[in-house]
Amino acid sequence: MITLRNLTKRYGELTAVDGLDLEVRAGKVTGFLGPNGAGKSTTMRMVVGLDLPTSGQALIGGRRYADLRWPLREVGALLDAKAVHPGRSVRAHLLALARSNRIPVRRVDEVLETVGMGKAARRRAGGLSLGMSQRFGIAAALLGDPPVLLFDEPVNGLDPDGVRWVRQLMRSLAAEGRTVFLSSHLMSEMQLTADQLVVIGRGRLITDTPMRELIAGGSSVSAVCPDPAGMAALEARLPGARAVSRDELRVPGVTTRQVGDLAYELGVRLHALRENEVSLEQKYMELTEHAVEYGAAR
Amino acid sequence: MMPELRAAVAAEWTKSWSVRSTWGTLAASAVLMMMVSAQLGIAHENNNTNEITTDDTGVTTAGAIAIESFAMMQLVLFTVAILTVTSEYANRSIGWTLQAVPVRGRVLAAKAAVLAPVMFVAGAAMCLLGALAARPLLGDWGTLDGLAYDAFAMGVYSAAGGVLTAGLALVLRSTATTLTALFVLLMLLPLMLGAAGSPAADFFPSTAGDHFMSGDTGEYPLAVALLIVLAWTAAAALAGLRLLKARDA
Repeated sequence: MITLRNLTKRYGELTAVDGLDLEVRAGKVTGFLGPNGAGKSTTMRMVVGLDLPTSGQALIGGRRYADLRWPLREVGALLDAKAVHPGRSVRAHLLALARSNRIPVRRVDEVLETVGMGKAARRRAGGLSLGMSQRFGIAAALLGDPPVLLFDEPVNGLDPDGVRWVRQLMRSLAAEGRTVFLSSHLMSEMQLTADQLVVIGRGRLITDTPMRELIAGGSSVSAVCPDPAGMAALEARLPGARAVSRDELRVPGVTTRQVGDLAYELGVRLHALRENEVSLEQKYMELTEHAVEYGAAR
Repeated sequence: MMPELRAAVAAEWTKSWSVRSTWGTLAASAVLMMMVSAQLGIAHENNNTNEITTDDTGVTTAGAIAIESFAMMQLVLFTVAILTVTSEYANRSIGWTLQAVPVRGRVLAAKAAVLAPVMFVAGAAMCLLGALAARPLLGDWGTLDGLAYDAFAMGVYSAAGGVLTAGLALVLRSTATTLTALFVLLMLLPLMLGAAGSPAADFFPSTAGDHFMSGDTGEYPLAVALLIVLAWTAAAALAGLRLLKARDA
């Protein structure tokens, strides 16, 4: 579990992270969203002790990162896939990390197999594509088999196959009971991957909500009805319903079952009955509307 | 040694030897040392045998020639120490270093624990290589007397200089800046102050190191020379540690 308590980071005048209080729980994938400059990377860097908080705390299982005896066995964090010595081989980089935390050397080959880089072990890190670098970075994060994992934009540069692989990996890591804290700008991907969503803007928490609730809020049911009379009859019985086209009625806050039962009761003919989910992207845009730091004019 | 420190040292060791720059810089230092020593050996022999008698310096030791060469090319050797720190800032892999070992003092201790013995062996080897290159060219005007001490002393000075350099590199973080600062500290300032006749020139790490290596007790005893070098080393290491703790990675 990751706990942030009033976490704050200032650079002179600029407040990058502003009194963030948060609990990232084990056993699920927590998505971390926010516009560019919202403070996501800075927050993650403070969790692993790379940046020092101006005030407040970032704790892992109740302890500061610097107090962990073998930190790579407790927290795996991929923050910057390209941050490796370009001349060092993939295997040597992982070997040095393993030795630093007394992780058995066989784990190096195991994680390379896990990320599909078994054959690339001897390649120099500088020669890897961005996608390969992401896999390499994920391997490094997994090296110590840690219960807490942080990934900053891990799908950048991955091909569709890789994106899917990352999604499945995140899901399975969470299913094993680990804490998975994941940032990404790919909304559709996040919608498929995360259980919980944390959105920040200008360093402040905007929301911390289960994905299901976030998307359900604002969902509606559409009934496609060919007879104007039937449509009017339905509309009269459903509060808040409105016709969005000649033959489509949109009803907020009900289930398809309720509308279907009502149509049957009234003897109204239906051609379609479906749930309209709000996409995460729509919801995200609404939430961050006022918190975009670097936005194009609209 | 604490197991955490031992592990950190093992990681630094692995990192040092898994990049070409370490091998390359050490090899370049060795080649350069032999070339400069050979050149100085020829010059020394020539001075004693030419028509001019005012430049005769008599019989010298091959070790003294090596020490003289080292004064000119020590920056090349210390580049090994610079790169162990600044390359990590240049490619941002310092992030992984600090994620793996979040205790800043332990990171510095591990780097020093790898640098000191490596630089000791490298320094001693450089002395032997320099002497080896100079000896045949000195002819009748050179001996191998005192070479064991010279090699030992060059090893000690190199070890201290390596740690000093790492400390400075932690303060400055950039390769070019650190190399420039080291050039000013080890060569330019003592040279200028020496030329101006200032006694301060004798209290720089390179001049104290030179006194220590050449066994020159004209200014102060050898123990004091060594202490001056070690004091600079400790000061640079502490400054590096302070900033490593205080700044974001």
